[in-house]
Amino acid sequence: MSAVAEAAGVSKWYGEVLGLNAFTASFGTGITGLVGPNGAGKSTLFKLLIGQLHANQGTLQLLGENPWNNVPMMRRLGYCPEHNQMYGWLSGQQFVEALLRLDGMPAAKASKEASAALKVVGLSGAAHRPTRTYSRGMRQRAKLAQALAHDPEVLILDEPLSGADPMARVQILRTIADFAKDGGHVLMSTHVLYEIERITNNIVLIHNGKAIASGDIHAIRALIDEHPHAVRFETSQPRQLAQALARMDHVVSLEVPAEDTLVIRTRKPDAFYKELPGIVADTKLEVRGLESPDDSLEAVFRYLVG
Amino acid sequence: MSISLPTYTRREMPLLGRRHRLRAIIVTGLRREFKRPATIVATAVGVGLVLVSSIVFVLFLGAFLPGQARDLSFFFVPASNGAILFFVTLMASVVGSALIADDLNSMALTLYLSRPITHADYLIAKAATLAPLISMIAVLPLVLTPFVAALLGLFSWTIALEAIGLSVLLGLLFTAFYTSVTLFLSSLTTRKSYAAAGVFAVTFGLTIPADILSSSIGNSALLYASPWEDYLALARAAFGASGNQLDWPWALAILLAATVVASLATYLRMKAVEVVSG
Repeated sequence: MSAVAEAAGVSKWYGEVLGLNAFTASFGTGITGLVGPNGAGKSTLFKLLIGQLHANQGTLQLLGENPWNNVPMMRRLGYCPEHNQMYGWLSGQQFVEALLRLDGMPAAKASKEASAALKVVGLSGAAHRPTRTYSRGMRQRAKLAQALAHDPEVLILDEPLSGADPMARVQILRTIADFAKDGGHVLMSTHVLYEIERITNNIVLIHNGKAIASGDIHAIRALIDEHPHAVRFETSQPRQLAQALARMDHVVSLEVPAEDTLVIRTRKPDAFYKELPGIVADTKLEVRGLESPDDSLEAVFRYLVG
Repeated sequence: MSISLPTYTRREMPLLGRRHRLRAIIVTGLRREFKRPATIVATAVGVGLVLVSSIVFVLFLGAFLPGQARDLSFFFVPASNGAILFFVTLMASVVGSALIADDLNSMALTLYLSRPITHADYLIAKAATLAPLISMIAVLPLVLTPFVAALLGLFSWTIALEAIGLSVLLGLLFTAFYTSVTLFLSSLTTRKSYAAAGVFAVTFGLTIPADILSSSIGNSALLYASPWEDYLALARAAFGASGNQLDWPWALAILLAATVVASLATYLRMKAVEVVSG
């Protein structure tokens, strides 16, 4: 297979708002990252790829087929949406099980596979808790579990790391990498380049609904490193965490804008994300979640698009 | 620091057919509804009140309806119980209004449709979740009433069985109408309260003005606009009760047409829905 997904001149409008603007790109085998700031059109592209939106213009293929109204193809996909939450009263186990039953899996098998998938994403301990009691990172992992539990050929992951805590990020990235190592294909969106860089070199950059660059990540790394990368932490101990992170020589600024928030800027995001889980584990500081405001990436895109 | 994690391995698995997938949606829906106090209360109070009032009519037939013959026409009385209309409307608004609106609001629909589920599958499953709950009020008490009446020896089993059969048909038609109309209203909005208000508007916004206008103008044809009056016309004709102001074939056609049109409109609406987020 040469390309898992291909888009040729795809446009999508929401009324007068342009979601995708003649988007053309090819997503190869293995893991491909779709990187762009919020509102760039990442979710729109993924919704088109899973057949839940219909393109106004252009052609789109996933696994060699047109995804629009292509119900049988859904068996071959695992989709992890960014925002969706299916019934908070369901436990993680029930949530994954219910979706596996929709694939036509027998009840006993669905139960077993749901447990296995939740174990893979590290949610076994919370499998029987209602998902409304989950942290954002736990919900992301539950959604990842449902996406991969039915053994799809392609995983389409919309910001799977959004809001996840450092340990959850490690777990999610490891699960995605294992899936790809086992022959699966992954299309993953993020607005944080450094996250995807840890598991693949193949990226497509999207901005204002257009693919502005694609291919090897290293070509734009130097450019990106010129712009300090911001990370916002949600923690009950922002000052203690700031003290711990200040030891990294590549951290250029620390800011506590609210009682439960810490914002840092680093010139070496890859090193930062690599060292972070160790620091958090060693200091035993509570980190409820972290995310990267996309202003640093925005600067790079502004440069790329002139 | 070292982290030890289980690894992912691909598996082959046998898959079941469409019927099983639909059942999965229905089971999830019903499981949800029977965890909601509003559903439990509406069901218990609705079934209880309709059933008790119907049986009271049977037991005290002579006192309530002097001169009423103990034949099939008696069973128009429980079938025309106004509590049926109220509790069917309540059940449709409490349960049905949220069935699609909540999925659109939470975008759970995205997850449903990311599975091998068609829009028709989804709607059939939602209808199959709502219809049994509505029929518990529209059908169950009307079946139990002749049964109890025959058990007490107040009516012959022949009449009771005939009444049961007719009640099932009438109740199912009323259930189908409210199920399709409610799902249509639910598919139009992401706010279940709007859909619930719509259900009440369909019931009382049509029935009360139709009754008032038809009696003030003296034109009974206006009653066709009320689904409840159409249902009553059918019930009168079915049980052989007197006083029908409407032609039952027209009433039947209106209820069936409204049911089919609402179902088709819901299907087309859902096919057109593009799940937008992010």
